[in-house]
This record gives sequence, C-alpha cells and structure tokens, in this order.
Amino acid sequence: MRQVNVAGWLFVVVVTLLVEAGVRVFGYESSIAPPSSTWRALVEELWSGSLSGKVGATLDAYLQGLAIAIVIGVAAGLLIGSSRTLLAASSVVLEFLRPIPAVALIPLAIVFFGPFGIAANRFVVAFAAVWPILVNTVYGVRGGDRMLHDVARTSGVGSTGRLLRVTLPAALPNIAAGLRVSATIALLVCVTAEFRTGAGGIGAYMERQHFAHRIPELYAGVVLVTLLGFGVNVLLRTVQRHALFWAGEERATQ
Amino acid sequence: MTEPVLRVAALEKRYSEAGPAAIADVTFDVLEHELLAIVGPSGGGKTTLLRLLCGLMRPTSGSIHLDGRLVSSPPREAAVVFQDYSRSLFPWLNVYRNVMFPLRTVGAPRSEKSARVATVLAEVGLEDAGRKYPWQLSGGMQQRVAIARALVSRPEILLLDEPFASVDALTRTELQDLVLRLYDHEEHGVTIIHVTHDIDEAVYLADRVLVLSGRPGRIVGSVGVPLPRPRHQTATRSSPQFLSLRNELHGVIASLQE
Amino acid sequence: MTPSGARRLTEPVLGVLVFLVVLGIWELWAGAADSFLVPTASEVAERVWHVWPTSDFLSQVGQSLKRYAVGFALATAIGIGLGLVVGTSHAARRTLEPILELLRAVPAIAIVPAAIIVLGPGDASRITVITFGLCFPILVNTAEGVQAISPEVRDTASMLHVGRVERMVHIYLPAALPSIMAGLRIAVSLGLVLVVVSEFVGEQNGIGYYLVVQQSEFDYPALYAGILFLGLLGYGLNRLFLVVERRVLAWHYGATGD
Repeated sequence: MRQVNVAGWLFVVVVTLLVEAGVRVFGYESSIAPPSSTWRALVEELWSGSLSGKVGATLDAYLQGLAIAIVIGVAAGLLIGSSRTLLAASSVVLEFLRPIPAVALIPLAIVFFGPFGIAANRFVVAFAAVWPILVNTVYGVRGGDRMLHDVARTSGVGSTGRLLRVTLPAALPNIAAGLRVSATIALLVCVTAEFRTGAGGIGAYMERQHFAHRIPELYAGVVLVTLLGFGVNVLLRTVQRHALFWAGEERATQ
Repeated sequence: MTEPVLRVAALEKRYSEAGPAAIADVTFDVLEHELLAIVGPSGGGKTTLLRLLCGLMRPTSGSIHLDGRLVSSPPREAAVVFQDYSRSLFPWLNVYRNVMFPLRTVGAPRSEKSARVATVLAEVGLEDAGRKYPWQLSGGMQQRVAIARALVSRPEILLLDEPFASVDALTRTELQDLVLRLYDHEEHGVTIIHVTHDIDEAVYLADRVLVLSGRPGRIVGSVGVPLPRPRHQTATRSSPQFLSLRNELHGVIASLQE
Repeated sequence: MTPSGARRLTEPVLGVLVFLVVLGIWELWAGAADSFLVPTASEVAERVWHVWPTSDFLSQVGQSLKRYAVGFALATAIGIGLGLVVGTSHAARRTLEPILELLRAVPAIAIVPAAIIVLGPGDASRITVITFGLCFPILVNTAEGVQAISPEVRDTASMLHVGRVERMVHIYLPAALPSIMAGLRIAVSLGLVLVVVSEFVGEQNGIGYYLVVQQSEFDYPALYAGILFLGLLGYGLNRLFLVVERRVLAWHYGATGD
C-alpha cells in the first residue's frame, strides 16, 4: 500500500486556500473564479446533469478515437517493425505525417466530418494517439530479444503465429508505455477539438461558458477535465503494473 | 614519536536503528606519512569505514579525529579516489578542467593554478592529456586523472577505495607503482589509506595492513610490513618476507571464515 | 558492396519512392473525385507557391514564432530552475509532487479562455499558455536527470566542498543535461501544438488563426497548405534542435558511445 503524501496534499490545500483568499481580497472575482465558486458550480452542474452528459460525450470520442489508434498503431507497428523493407518504405511518408500537430487537423476534420457529432473529434483523437503507439510498437518489435525470435522460429510456429504469440507479447511493455503517452495526448486533443467543433463534451461546454462569460462554470469544466486526465493516468499506471508485472516499467520513446 | 594524524576510536555504524551494525568497535591510529592498507572480504564493512573516514557519513557512535579535530563532514585536508572512475570524473569537463576543479575556490593567480595542474598531471604520467575528455582515455588513465584530481590540492590524507579493482591486471601493477612513486615523492609527504580486497596488493604497498572482517566488521588483525622501500613488482613480491606476510594475512582471513 | 552497404543506399530511395507514389495516387484520385473537400496536390502546391511567400502569411508566422520563442525561453528557465530544486531536495519533491501532477493534467485549451479573461486576448495570454504547457516536460526531465546522478559524482561534490548553489549550477545541471535535452526535445514539438491551440481563441493573428480562417472561408487548398506548412515547420524545428543537441551534448555522446 503506497504511503499517502500528507505534506504534498496539505500543500495543495494551502495553495487552494491562498488562491481563495487572494481572489476575494483583491477583488478579482470577475476574472478568476475562486475555488469555492468553482466547487459550487461543479457540484451544481454535475447534479443538474448538464455536465455529466458532457463527460459521457467526451469519453465517447476519446475512447473510440483511442481504440482506433490502438488497432491501427499496433497492427501497423507490428508489420513495419518486423520487416526492414516495410520500415524503409514507409519511413518517409510517416516522418512526413508525424510532425503535423493533430490540433492543426481540427479545421480539416470539421471540413470533412462536419461540425456536428463527434466524428471530427474522434478522427483528430485517433490521429494524435496513433503516433506514440505506432512508434513504440515498432521500437518494441525491433528491440526484441533476438533469442526469443530464434526460439520461436525453430519451434515450428508460422510467421503470423510468431508475430502474434512472441513478438507482440514481447513488445507489450513498450506498447503500454506508448499507450500511456497516447492516452494523455488523446484527452487533450479531444477537449481541444470539442472546443472548436462545439460538438458535445467538456470542451464544447467550456467554450460555451467562456462565450457566456460564466466564469465559475468555465473553471468547473477545467477542474473536471483535469480530474479526468489525472484519473486516466492513475488508472493506466495501475493496470500496467498489474497486467505487465513480469516486465519492468518502460520509458516511452518520443 | 609524533602524534598520529588520524585517530579512530570505537567506531560503530548502524544503518537503521534496529538493524545490525555494519562495523563495530573499530579503533586504530594512523601516523603521519604512513601508508596503511585495509583489507577484508566483500561486505565486511570496508566501504562503510572509508565513507566514515571521508566524512561522507556520520558514525552511530565512536569518533574520528583528523589532526586533533573531530571529523563530522568531509574535511578539507582529505581527498578521495573512488573505484568507479567513470562515474566520479565529470564527463562534461576535459581532463585539465577536471583536475583544476578542486582549485576553483583557491585564491591564487590563474597561472599558478595552471602550473600546479600541469605538475600533478605530469606526476601521474598524463602531461599531454589535458585537452582530452575522460571517456577518450583508457580505464587506467582515467583512474590516474582521478588520482591527479585528488592530489592537486595537496591533501594531508589520501583515501583510495579499491581504486584498482576495475582495471586489468597489467594496468593494476602500473597504478600500484604510481601510488608508491607518489608516496615516496618527498614533496607530498601524504598519508595514504588504501582499501583493497587484494592481499598481495596490500602487502606490496603498505607499511601496515589492517584486516577488517566479520559481521559486524571489526579489526581482526594488524600486520606491520617492514619490507624495504623502494619496492619492486618482481623483487619485492618474490622475497620470502613478502610471502610470509601475505600467508599470515591469508591465514587471518581464512580462520574467520570457518 | 556489402549487403548492409547496399541497403543503406536503397532504403531511403525506397522511402522516397513510396512517398512519391502515394502523392501520385492522391493527385489522381483527388482529380478524379473532383470534390472540393479534397484538393489535388497540384492545387495545394499552387496555394503554397502563392501564399507562403506573401508578407501577410509570413507576418502571421512571425507572430506565432515570436510567441513560441518567448514561451519556450520562459518555460526553459522555470522548468530547469524548479526541476533542479525538486531534483535535489527530497522535501521539495514530496511537497510539490501532488500539485505539479494536478497542474500537469490541465489541458492547454482549458487554460486559454481563463488566460484571455485575465490577461486579455493578445500576446500575454498566449505566451502564458505556451509557457504553462511547456514547463512540465522540462521540469520532469530535469528532476529525473538530477536524481539519476551517480553517487560517486555526489560524493565527489561533497569531498570537494562545493557549495549548494554552485553544486546545482556547475555539477547537477551539466550532469543532468542529457535528460534536460530530452525534455526540451519534447517541448520543441509540444510548443508548436500549444501555439496553434492558443490561437484558436482571441486575437486574430498567428498561424493557428490562419488555419481557422481558411476553414471558415472554404479555402481548402489553402487549409491543406497551411497544415503542410505546420508539418514542415515542426520537422524543421526538430532538426534544428537536433543540431543544437549534438553540439551541447558532444561530451555525452562520446562518453556513452552513442
């Protein structure tokens, strides 16, 4: 059982109180929502259901986009990683697409999928999330222990079987590390996309609150999205620790 | 009879309150310009003792006095050479800068400091290596740089923590002779404490050998080495006196392991 | 020619060939489909030729790059400074860890409206967003780099009586530099993302704003061209950084044999 960091969380509380006091004392309520108003807004909005629906919409686009990215990223990564020719052939195209910031594709996605519905968001999330997974899968496949491959080859398993039953599991720690990075990026991109497309989700909610100048509600959205991201990270770390207990924790290649 | 330069009294170190002592009841003196070797098996507390002598750690009980002053933090008169030269030399500085580093706070003109660095590099046989980076040198040469860095500030006492354990046998003999040369060189008059697991090395180099062994580590033997100086790899090591001394030490250690 | 020698020649050629084939397919397919949503490569190229050199476009780019540079510089200063503190002090790390983890999880887009309300729609709010987002990878990497410093280096620093501030600047900073550079490398790409994000709202200038305008004005070839530009900019910045990194970390590559 991990020890709770009392000092650290106490510091968080202290800072929150200082912000509360500071905002009220210096009269900044019209531009910065003090933590108490934010909290109240958060609770009210969640209770009334207007925020909770948004969370669902965000998770929808987020998880769907992430799923697409995983499928494409791992499949392509396995293939590219195990064939030098494929790696060479695809390298220029991939290096060309990779530096494009996913958020820059948001206007393009709006053009293609229209500004309503989560399709645009899903696309952008998938694009953003595929790269860390792809890169780390390739890295994991290529960095694999040669001995494992040789053992698999001599054991009479066909090449597809080898790919799925030796290469893939061996690359899992790297894939998991890439997934952690992707999951974080995907959430940020999702919320950004929602902000621009205005299609459901916390991002769209924040945009509307900003437009309506309802500051506590805006901050409530910020807090919610932060907690969501925080939770996702903790969840993934725990799952990785338990599911991949047999491997050390890998650092993701960027 | 001069006062000992280093007095160690009833030294004990525990790493945790309830845990076992790493070393206990260690008492010895070191005379000025003595070359003392400390041998013992791995895990016997040699590194712990050395870190205490350097002031990098505080003892749980007992005391260390250098020049009559209590050692509670790294004393300015002491310099250390660690076993792992690749991790103790600064990789972002060239050899010259590495050796110059201890002098950075000394208020002497730059030319004087430069000359000093050049002198000490020449003493370890690296007069042309100043511009090179540590990783460009062999293991033996890197350890020479570490020794040069330790000597540049003219320490009173030089501590070496298994300094030749990570180099090959041939380089080891070269470095052993380097230590002897530096020790014999009158300009330094430095006191040396040489920690090693190699009994032959200890006898070859030292005036006296302490055996640190057991759990917790204790001084279980102190053997004087009256071999004449200067010493030679072939002549000294094949002398009957050398052989009987090393056998005596082997016996001390062997008897403990029963 | 050896097999690997031959491969080294043919592999990049293969990559470029495939790229050109893909480009060709796009051109044919887009031309055949004749949909205004998917302009042909030549249409995009035409936009590139006519728009990119214009002073209007370049000034937009210039404004974005200015904010990028300022934000990057600020984040580097804050990130490395805080990172050194967190890396060297256990107490600081424990106290700051939860709040930093929380702040790190705040998406940049969430900061943008709040920053605009407080600082107005201009440069100040955008630079704040960029700085905020870039702080964290730099901070984390700096702290990790410091924590990874070998005990021998720390002990040497103690033995050489290096003061606390001097230690941070002259020993910990260079020793952690490889890790810091890795953090900066992340920041180079991330910075571009943050620039675009910060320009979705607020004042009407910058390359991110430009993309939005092209989309709303249905000038899709220009939109594609704009995205292409960003991709190239990102690629260029990355390669530029690699050159800088190679020079700054020359000693490290040698030491680790990369």
